[in-house]
Amino acid sequence: MLLPALLLLAALSLFPFFYIIWMSFNEVSLIGGINFEWVGLQNWTDLVTDPDVRSSWIVSGIYFIATVGLEMFLGISIALLLHETIWGKNLALSILLMPMFVAPVIVGLLGRFLVDSTYGLYAWFLDRTGLITWEILGSKGSALLAVILMDVWEWTPLIVLIVLAGLSSMPLPVLEAAKMDGANYVQRLRHIVAPLISGVVIVALLVRSMDAIRYYDIIAITTNGGPADATKIIPIRLYETAFRFQELGYAAAIGLSMLAFSILVANLFVRILKQQGLAR
Amino acid sequence: MRISRGLSRRDFLKMSGAGLAGASLLGLAGCGEESSQGSSSGGMWEQYKGMTLNFISENTAPTSAIAANLKPFKDLTGIDVEISQLELGSLVQKVSLDVSSGDPTIHVIYADPYQVMAPFAAALADLNDFNEDDSLPSVPKGLGDFIPTQLAAAGRFDDPDTLYALPYDAPTMIWMYRQDLFDKYGDQMSQDLGFDPTPSEKITWAQYYDIAKWFNDNADEVEYGTGQQAKQYDSLMCDFSNVLWAYGGDYFDNGVQVGKIGAKDPGPARLDEAKAVEAAEFYKKLNEISHPGSTSWDWTALDEAFRAGELAMVPNWHEFAAGVEDSKLGGKVGYERLPTGPARSASMWGGTGLGINGELEDDEQRAAWLFLVWATSPETQLSGLKSNVGGGTPTRQSVYELPEVKKAQHRPSDMPNILTYPAVSKAWEPENIGLRPKVEEWNECDTVIYTELSKMLAGDKSPEQAMKDAKEGFDQANGV
Repeated sequence: MLLPALLLLAALSLFPFFYIIWMSFNEVSLIGGINFEWVGLQNWTDLVTDPDVRSSWIVSGIYFIATVGLEMFLGISIALLLHETIWGKNLALSILLMPMFVAPVIVGLLGRFLVDSTYGLYAWFLDRTGLITWEILGSKGSALLAVILMDVWEWTPLIVLIVLAGLSSMPLPVLEAAKMDGANYVQRLRHIVAPLISGVVIVALLVRSMDAIRYYDIIAITTNGGPADATKIIPIRLYETAFRFQELGYAAAIGLSMLAFSILVANLFVRILKQQGLAR
Repeated sequence: MRISRGLSRRDFLKMSGAGLAGASLLGLAGCGEESSQGSSSGGMWEQYKGMTLNFISENTAPTSAIAANLKPFKDLTGIDVEISQLELGSLVQKVSLDVSSGDPTIHVIYADPYQVMAPFAAALADLNDFNEDDSLPSVPKGLGDFIPTQLAAAGRFDDPDTLYALPYDAPTMIWMYRQDLFDKYGDQMSQDLGFDPTPSEKITWAQYYDIAKWFNDNADEVEYGTGQQAKQYDSLMCDFSNVLWAYGGDYFDNGVQVGKIGAKDPGPARLDEAKAVEAAEFYKKLNEISHPGSTSWDWTALDEAFRAGELAMVPNWHEFAAGVEDSKLGGKVGYERLPTGPARSASMWGGTGLGINGELEDDEQRAAWLFLVWATSPETQLSGLKSNVGGGTPTRQSVYELPEVKKAQHRPSDMPNILTYPAVSKAWEPENIGLRPKVEEWNECDTVIYTELSKMLAGDKSPEQAMKDAKEGFDQANGV
């Protein structure tokens, strides 16, 4: 019974997975059909000694913490606000969710246009108000901040949606009982709402974390990793290695290190879920 | 070299017979004596009727012009052409996957000499085989009609005889400047600066800096005197290379040959030499007084800023002239070769050829050859020049000799790119053309140099350190 499903799984997941592992131990040439030359641990040695890759992991770490952190904070805050809203809740939710439906590459293009010093509305406003008088995508700090905010703009709505679903499923009698016992909003939030929605919050965190580590589109379309490698997160480095330098074996090793990171993060969150009795 | 020879017996036989049928069908009337010959054999052109060719190209003006005018080719051959226009990086990725797939689908490749031809030369067909095939039309007017430096740079790699691509476009960096502002402030600038600032090949990069700074301080019409395409991207390498060569620096020993024909083993890089460091120091200094947007601008963004009236002058690609003349700056812009340096004036050439995927079946390659001959013919290039979707940059000498093209060098011009011809024609001369290295590992070298330059401009590294690290990166990429 299970055999067809297992075969399908093998074809879709296991074969590419083992193929990439095989690639990571080879130098791969594309011309005239794919060719492998065994290089042993060379690509893996390069991976841990390459200062450029290390630098990209550091930028990725900053990008990861900033995007996921901001999205979680804003997403939970907005969801709590919306949950308390009585009038126009559906309309507000519809508008809030819109960025999530825009293709990331379009978000990048939109962001680039808005902060361009020649015709960008945001750039014009920030310049006129004296808040940012330099080129936003041309300076290291502001370029990284800009791409982080573009990501946050697009994906905060996803957190809102997930958390709102959790809030909507809370048992009302418990909340009403707490209210009648004199618990104020902050006390209810801390002692009742937070424990009740912690499971969905961790799921939201898991979903965004897995996505953030392999993010590519916005940075590719806005800064291409610059200036001075300030936005060169690891997926940009991976693309560059694979498709510009044609070093597919080394790129496979980088890709597998990203996969390992994702698995570590996922395991961490699943362990937390288990501790809370929300996962088996 | 094959291009240097005269009219061969084979060429003569073809021109007097069936080959001329195609040339005539191409509508070469006015382009040469062949047009007087009769057309007796459409068969040579129609032998692959019903086939569909896939042409992958960077999103450039010549391809837009061709995409808008494919009917003549369809009428001539009965072949349909599907054109995909992409950003260059995506094109490189698609070509690399296609040539390795074992089931190639791309027939005609926009073979950027550095990012496609050098790394994938082994996957491209030798076009000499088709050009010398009696059953196929040969290149009208012969290979000698292509501008010689461009035929070598766009068409060959490592081996001076094998021909991988036919020159298709020829964007070249020149000095674009606001003629109206130079007319208005010229005398005042002369007095203040102590030299005649009129753009010419005598102006040095140091004087260019002085002029730009003068505009920053004295002219209200523009925000800044100059801007650069200094985003961490290919554009930064192009922009810097003009200065590097002007100061006498180069990427490798024998840089002219490595740029023109290319090399599989270019040897150690020489970016850490004093002249290269001096060039880097100047480039950093120039960027410090350039529009602050420079470090986030690629070539398109720089051109947009210039057209928006933010800058008095820019090093810009000459094929952008059509857009400039169509903007509010139309008629107000002058074109000149880039400034000179202690060694020479060098203008980065960014041309490309059309190649054929050598992994295809023979018939598919032969059909693709028909498209190459048509797309690079003088008539198609002339048509591209007149196109209202951006215009082209012909690679054939005979096109520039046409009376209507010569007339278009002066305003009012219905071929605005041709207004730049006096500047680019000098830039294409062997001693002036700027050819980046054509090496297999160029994509990696390119990334190394523009990343190091970006770090230098951001203040992370000194010019000396950036050039030293760039040299190490080049040597590592090339296995030195």
